[in-house]
Amino acid sequence: MTSLLNALNAGKTSLLTNQKSIEIVGNNIANVNTEGYSRQRAELMQIPAVNFGDFFIGQGVTVSDVSRDYSLFISRQLQSKSIEYGEEMGKSNSLAELERIFNVSEDNLAGQINDFFDAWQELTANPSGQVERDVVIQRGQLLGEAFSHITDELDRVEQNMNTEIVSEVETLNEKIAEIARLNDRINLVEISGQTANSARDQRDLLIKDLSETLGVKTYTDNRGMLNVQLPGGMPLVQGNIAATITTVTTGTDVNLQLKIAGSTLDIPLENLGGKMKGMFEIRDVFIDGLRNDLNTLAIDLTDAVNDAHATGWFINPATGLPDTGQDFFKDITATIPPEVPSRRVEVAFTDPRLIAAAGQSTAAPGDNEAALRIAQLEVTHKVSGTNDTFDNFFSKMVATVGIEAARNDLALKGAKDATIQLQNLRDGYSGVSLEEEMIDLIQYQRGFESSAKFLATVDEMMNALLQLKG
Amino acid sequence: MKATQGTTYRMLGSRLNDVSNRLEELRTIGATGKKLNKPSDAPASIRPVLNTRKQLSNVDRYLATMGKSLDTMQATDGHLNQVENVMQRAKEIMTNAVNGALSDADRATLAEEMALLREELLDAANGAVDGKYLFAGYQEDTKPFVVNASYTAAGYDPNDSTTWPVRYFGDGNATSLEISTGELIQVNLTGNDLFLGTSTWDPANPNSIATGRYDLFAELTQAEEALRGNDLAAMQTSIDELEGAAEQNRRLRSQLGNRADRVETAMEYQKGVQIDLEQILSRYENADAIEAFNAIVQQETAFQAALNVTAKVSALSILDYI
Repeated sequence: MTSLLNALNAGKTSLLTNQKSIEIVGNNIANVNTEGYSRQRAELMQIPAVNFGDFFIGQGVTVSDVSRDYSLFISRQLQSKSIEYGEEMGKSNSLAELERIFNVSEDNLAGQINDFFDAWQELTANPSGQVERDVVIQRGQLLGEAFSHITDELDRVEQNMNTEIVSEVETLNEKIAEIARLNDRINLVEISGQTANSARDQRDLLIKDLSETLGVKTYTDNRGMLNVQLPGGMPLVQGNIAATITTVTTGTDVNLQLKIAGSTLDIPLENLGGKMKGMFEIRDVFIDGLRNDLNTLAIDLTDAVNDAHATGWFINPATGLPDTGQDFFKDITATIPPEVPSRRVEVAFTDPRLIAAAGQSTAAPGDNEAALRIAQLEVTHKVSGTNDTFDNFFSKMVATVGIEAARNDLALKGAKDATIQLQNLRDGYSGVSLEEEMIDLIQYQRGFESSAKFLATVDEMMNALLQLKG
Repeated sequence: MKATQGTTYRMLGSRLNDVSNRLEELRTIGATGKKLNKPSDAPASIRPVLNTRKQLSNVDRYLATMGKSLDTMQATDGHLNQVENVMQRAKEIMTNAVNGALSDADRATLAEEMALLREELLDAANGAVDGKYLFAGYQEDTKPFVVNASYTAAGYDPNDSTTWPVRYFGDGNATSLEISTGELIQVNLTGNDLFLGTSTWDPANPNSIATGRYDLFAELTQAEEALRGNDLAAMQTSIDELEGAAEQNRRLRSQLGNRADRVETAMEYQKGVQIDLEQILSRYENADAIEAFNAIVQQETAFQAALNVTAKVSALSILDYI
C-alpha cells in the first residue's frame, strides 16, 4: 500500500507543478507587451528520493524557483546607450525651435539688414526726399524689431526649456524614491531566498528612464541594492535612502540642486548626463553663444552706422542751421546688464529731417555723401574681430545652428537605431515569444494530462485491490 | 536569441516611421520646390545663399539707381541741346552782323534777339526735373542763375563773380551715385562748370573764370553790347569767344554722353549679373524637380512595401495552427 500511496503523492506533485508552470506561462503571455518584463520560467526539481530497502524511489517533482531570463551585460549596454539617446533627445526640440528662429527664408535678419542699407542706397539718389528719408527711418525701426524679435524668441525657447526642466524634475524625484523603495523590497524578499523578479524588472526599467534623463551610473552593493549616482559621482540613491532634486531659479534660469542627508548641493553641468545635460548644454552654452553673437552684431552695426552718421550734416529743424554729430541709432555700446543690446536697437529720432545725408557742412539738399558712406558700410564694413560683413556674420550664426541641428539629427538617429538594436537584443534574450509560450503551454498541458491519467490508473489499481477483499 | 512579438513590432514600427518621415521630407521638397528649407538641410550653403541674396538686392538697387541716373542725364542732355542751339544762333547773329552792311535798326533788332537768347539760356540753365534744379550742384532747391541787377559793362571783372551779368547761387558739387559695388559715377554737371567756365565754386568769395574757359552769359551779354555799340572789333572777338563757349558746352555734353554710355553698359552688365546670381541662388536653394518626384515615387513604393510586410506579419500567428 505504501507504494501506491506514494504514487498518488507523486502524481499530485506533478499535477501541481504542471499547473504552476502553466500559471507562469500564463503570466508570461499576459505580460507579452509589458515594457521591461523579463520572461519567467519555472525551475523544476525532483523531490529527493526516499530509500525503500534497496531502492531509491523518486517522490515526484516540485518548482524550486521562478527565475527570469536576464542578461546583465545587455542591460548595462542598453543603459549606456540610453544616456546618449537622452542627451541628443534633450537637444533636438530646442534645436528645431532655433532652426525656426534662425531660418533661411528671405525675411530673416540678413534680409532686414539688406533692406536697411538698401534704403540708404535709395536715399543717395534723392537725399532730400521726404519719402526716402521716412523709408530709412522705418527700415531702421524694422531692423531693431528684427533684432529684438530674435532676442525674445531666444528667451521664449529658454523659458520653455525651464518649464520642461521643472516638470521633468517632479517625475524624476518619484522615480528616484521608487528605486530606493524597490531596493528595500528586493532586499527583504531575497533575504528569505526567493527571487524578486518583478521588483528587479521594475527597477531596471526605472534605471533605464533615469539614464535617459539624467545619465546616471549604477553599482550593486553586497545586499543586492542598487546605488545610483549622477555622472560626476553625486549620490542619488544609496541603499534605501533617496536624495531629492530641486529646482532653483536664479535670474531667469532654472538650475538643479541635490538635497541629501540634510545638505543642499548645486548640480553643475559636469554632473549631468542624458536629456538634462543636452538641455542645459543648449541653454547655457549654445544659446548663450548665439546671444553673444547677436549682441556683437547689434553693437557693431549700430556703432558703425552711428560713426558714419555722426560725421554727416543735416539742417537742424530747431535752429534752421546745418548741424552734425547726430547718432542714427541709440548708443548701445555701453549697455549695462541686465539690459540686452540686441533688444535695444532703436532709431534715435523720428524726425526724418534729422537724417544726416550730407557730407559737407552746408548740408545742401542735394548732398548725398554721408548717405553714400553709410550705404557702402553694407559691403565695406567688417564686424570687429572678424572678416565678415554684417550679413555674413549673421549667416555664420545660422550656419552654426544648422550644423548643430544636422549633427543632432544624425546622432539622434544613430542613438535611436542603437537603442532599438539593443532592445531587440534584450527582447531576444529576456522577451516573451508567443511561439515559445504556446509550445510550453502544450508541453505542460500534456504533462498535466499524463499525470491525471497516471492518477486515474493508480485509482483503478486501488479499486482493484479494494474489490479483492469484498 | 529569439524573435519575440516585441522585437517584430518594434522593428516594423521604426521602419514605417523612418520611411514615412523620409517621405514627409521629400514631399516638403516637392511642394516647395526647394531643397534648402531649414538651416540643417545644408549648413554649408547658408552663407552663399544669404550672400547671393544680398548681392541680388544690391543689383536691383543699382539698376534702379542707374535708371534714375539715366533719366537725369537725358533731361540734362535735352537742356544742353537747347544751350547748343542758343550758342549756334548767337554765333550766326554775330557773323551776320559782322559781314552784312546793317543799319542801326537792324543791329538793334539783332541785339534784341541776342537779349532773348540770353533769356533762353537762362531758362535752360535753370532747368529742373521733379522740382529740382539740374545745374545747381547740391543746392538743388535754390534757383541757381539769377540776373545780376547791379551789372554794368564797365564794372565787369572776370575775376569777380559779383560783377558778372548773371550770378550763380548753386555750388560746385556734382552728384555721384553708386552704380556697382564701390563704383561711383557723376550723374550731373554743375552750373558753374557748364555756364560760368570754372570747375570750382566758392559761394562765399568772388570766383574767377578759369583760363581758356567761358562765362556763357557774359559772352552773350558782351555780344549784345558789341551789337548795340556797333563795335566791329568787339563783334569779331565775340564770334571767336562764342565759338569757344559753344565748344565748352559741347565738350561737357559729350562727357555727360560718355557717362550715360557707361551707365547703359553697366546696366546691361548688372542685368547679366542678376541672371547669373539667380542661377547661383537656384543651384543652392532649388530642388531638381524630376529628381525630387522620382525620389517621392521611390519612397512611396518603399512605404507600400513596408505596410504590406506589416500586414503579412500580423496575419501570421501560431494560434491559427494549434
